[in-house]
Amino acid sequence: MNRSLAILLGALALGAAIVAGSYFASQRATEICCANPADDLSWLRAEFHLDALEMARIRELHEGYLPKCAEMCAKIAAKKGELEAALGSGTNINPEAQVKLNELAALRAQCQAQMLQHFATVSQAMPPEQGRRYLAEMQKLTLGTHESMEQSMSGDTGHEHHH
Amino acid sequence: MKKENFNPADEKLGALLRESRTFPALPPRFQQNVWRRIEDAEAPALPSSWLDALANLILRPRFAVASVAALMLIGVFAGMQEGRQAARHEAQMNYLASVAPHSLR
Repeated sequence: MNRSLAILLGALALGAAIVAGSYFASQRATEICCANPADDLSWLRAEFHLDALEMARIRELHEGYLPKCAEMCAKIAAKKGELEAALGSGTNINPEAQVKLNELAALRAQCQAQMLQHFATVSQAMPPEQGRRYLAEMQKLTLGTHESMEQSMSGDTGHEHHH
Repeated sequence: MKKENFNPADEKLGALLRESRTFPALPPRFQQNVWRRIEDAEAPALPSSWLDALANLILRPRFAVASVAALMLIGVFAGMQEGRQAARHEAQMNYLASVAPHSLR
């Protein structure tokens, strides 16, 4: 009885070790093999099954968009600096800080609109079905976090209330 | 001591010797019993519980090799799936970081 139990427990431990070892080894190998950190667009090619021509067009759009995006980021960073300076060490939001806040929000909205426009342009360079999927995915990834945060803060979970 | 002179191949003597020997009667169903005992001795011992039966199964080389191969395949397959997902997620985040500033997400 004891010998059989020891054999069974040993076999279970060995089995678990074999599964875990092969799992982690193959996971790591697959990650190393499939990852291409040098190319930002590798995900697009793989996910949306794009051919070389479509990729070339999208790469062109991507490279055209990056300087505009960097410019907007620099403007936002500068405005944040101005806001921090306006806030100073006071405990109230003064009129100048309020103006800077509004300007920062406007810059962020402008940057977001530019980003969404870029997604729309890229989606048009893809086959229609893939383009729709890309646009939906990018909107979910970039706007989804705000939506979930706003929903959680407002308590709106999408359920109907019956009074 | 006087050495006797007889021929061991003598047929008459041989026949007399055989006749002089007495064989006891075999018990009934002697042959069947012998075969049964041989078969019992050759048959593997029956396990006394399911645990013993399982332990006996695990110790069989064919079963052990097949189990190790199956477990390795399961691990490799699951790891590859997970690795693909992780690589896909990483690539997606790389793309997202390049087009969407973190402050907008």
